[in-house]
Amino acid sequence: MSSPSLTLPSPAPAAARRRWLLEILGALAIAGTYVFLVLNQPADITGGPGSASALIALSGFLVGAILLIIAVLPSLPASTVVLIPVALVLNIVLGQFVGSTLVPFYLDAIGTVLIAVLAGPAAGAATGALSSIVWSFFNPTVLPFAAGAALIGCLAGLAARYGLFRRFYLAPVAGFATGIIGGVVSAPVAAFVFGGTSGVATGAIVSAFRSMGDTLLAAITKQALISDPMDKAIVFTVVAVLVYALPRRTRFQFPFVRRHRVLAGKTPGEGAGQDSTPAS
Amino acid sequence: MRLHPLTGLAAAGSTAVITTAAGSWPLSLAVVAGALAVSAAGGTARRLLPAAAAVLVPLTLSLLMVHGLAYPEGRTVLAEWGPARVTAEGLGFALQRAVQVCAAVLALLAFSFSVSVPDLVAAMNAKGVSGRFAFVLASTLTLLPAIAAQAERIRTAQEARGLVIRRGLVHRAAAFRLQAVPLVLALVDDAGTRAAALEARGFSSSGPRTSYRTVPDSTAQRLLRAALLLAAAAAVVLRLLTSAAGG
Repeated sequence: MSSPSLTLPSPAPAAARRRWLLEILGALAIAGTYVFLVLNQPADITGGPGSASALIALSGFLVGAILLIIAVLPSLPASTVVLIPVALVLNIVLGQFVGSTLVPFYLDAIGTVLIAVLAGPAAGAATGALSSIVWSFFNPTVLPFAAGAALIGCLAGLAARYGLFRRFYLAPVAGFATGIIGGVVSAPVAAFVFGGTSGVATGAIVSAFRSMGDTLLAAITKQALISDPMDKAIVFTVVAVLVYALPRRTRFQFPFVRRHRVLAGKTPGEGAGQDSTPAS
Repeated sequence: MRLHPLTGLAAAGSTAVITTAAGSWPLSLAVVAGALAVSAAGGTARRLLPAAAAVLVPLTLSLLMVHGLAYPEGRTVLAEWGPARVTAEGLGFALQRAVQVCAAVLALLAFSFSVSVPDLVAAMNAKGVSGRFAFVLASTLTLLPAIAAQAERIRTAQEARGLVIRRGLVHRAAAFRLQAVPLVLALVDDAGTRAAALEARGFSSSGPRTSYRTVPDSTAQRLLRAALLLAAAAAVVLRLLTSAAGG
C-alpha cells in the first residue's frame, strides 16, 4: 500500500525543486522571525498590547508553518497522509488522558512524534503544523505555536532517522534535547502574542523569574527550559514504548522505518531466514 | 442566501488580526460582545461558552499572576509582599492583554463552532486548496468522537479483564500502556486499510476533480471577503508603520 503508484508518472524534477524552495522559504520565515523577535524585544514589550511584535510573531511563524505544509503535504504517500488525522486525534485524546490521570504535564505531541518516528522528519513537521491548525478549531490559542510544533515533529523524525530510537535509553535524551530547542523557539510566541503563558502552573514560574527582574522574554524562555525538556522526554519515551509494542508487521510496513533501520531488531529482508521481499 | 464558509473564515480571521493590531481595549470588548451575540444568534453559544472558558480562564489567571505580581517596569505600587509587587501598570497590562486575546479567541471560535465542516471542505476544494489538507481537516474532526468512543470501549474491556488504576506512578503508567497500545495498534491498522481504499479511488492522482457538493457563492460575498482581507492587511501595515515611527 505504500509503494509508489505503478500507473501514475513520478513527480517531475520541477515539482521537487519547487518543494525544496518552499521548504527553505518556510524554514527561513520561521528562523528570521525568531531572530528578529529576539533582537528587537527589549524596546517593544512594554509598549502595551497590540505591539508590532505580536503581529510579526503571528504572521512570521504562521506563514512559515503554512509554507512547510504546502511543500510537504503533496509529496507524502497516501499511507502517511491517512495517518496524520489519526496522529492529530491521538495528540488530543492521549494528551487529555495523560494530562488528567498520569502527571501534571501537557503531553500534546504524542501523535506528532509517533508519525515522525514511523514516517520521517518531513511527515513529522507537517503533522505538527497541521495539528496546531486543526486543533485551533477548538482552541485558537495554539495556532501561533504551529511553527514550534512543526520543529518538534521534524527533530523527532531526525532523531529517529539517526537511530536514537534503536536504544531505548536514548529516546528520552533525544526528547530532552528536542524540548530545549522547541521551548526556546516557542517562548517568543508566548511572550509577544499572549504576554504570558496559558497555564497557571507555568505562569507561577514565569512570575518568579519576573520578580527577580528578568525581561518577559527571558522569564518565559527560562520557564520553557524548565518544563519543555521534561515534557518532551516523557513524550519520546511514551512513543518508544508504543512503537516497540506494535507488532513487527505493522512497524515494518513503513518504508522510512525499513530504509533507515529506525528501530532495533532485524529488518525484514535483512536476515538469512527472513523473507527477502518487503512487506508492501 | 446562506453565508459562504470562506466569508465566515475571512470575517473571523480579519477580526482577530485587526483587534490584535489595534490593541485598544474598547475595540476588544466590542469584539467580545459581538462574537458572543453572533454565536447566541446562531444557537451555538451553549457549546461555545464551555470551550472558550476552558481556554480563557487559565490564560487570564496566568496573565494576572505574571503581570499582577511581578512587573519590574511598573511605577505605581499598590501592594508589596516580599519580592511580589502589585503595580497598577502590571494589572492594566494583564487585563489589556487578556481582553485582546479573548476577543481574538472568541471571534475564531464563533466561526469554527458555527461552520459546517463539509461545506468548508467543499469550498476549499473549489478554491484550489489541496484536497489533502481538506481530507486531514475533515477526517480529524469526524474521527475525534469515534476514536474517543473507541478509547472508552478499550478502557471498559481492560477493566472487565481486571484492570484497576491504583495510586502511584508505576501503576498508572502500566494502566496507560494497557489502554494506549491496543488503541494505537487498531488505529494504525485502520489507517492502512483506509489508505488502500483511498488509493483505489484516485486519492494521489493529479488532475481535475468534480465535487459532489456545491456551495453557493455570490459576487457580493466575494467582494466582502476581499474587503475584509484588505482591511486586515491595512491594519497590520498601519500598526507596523506607527510602531516604526514611534520606536
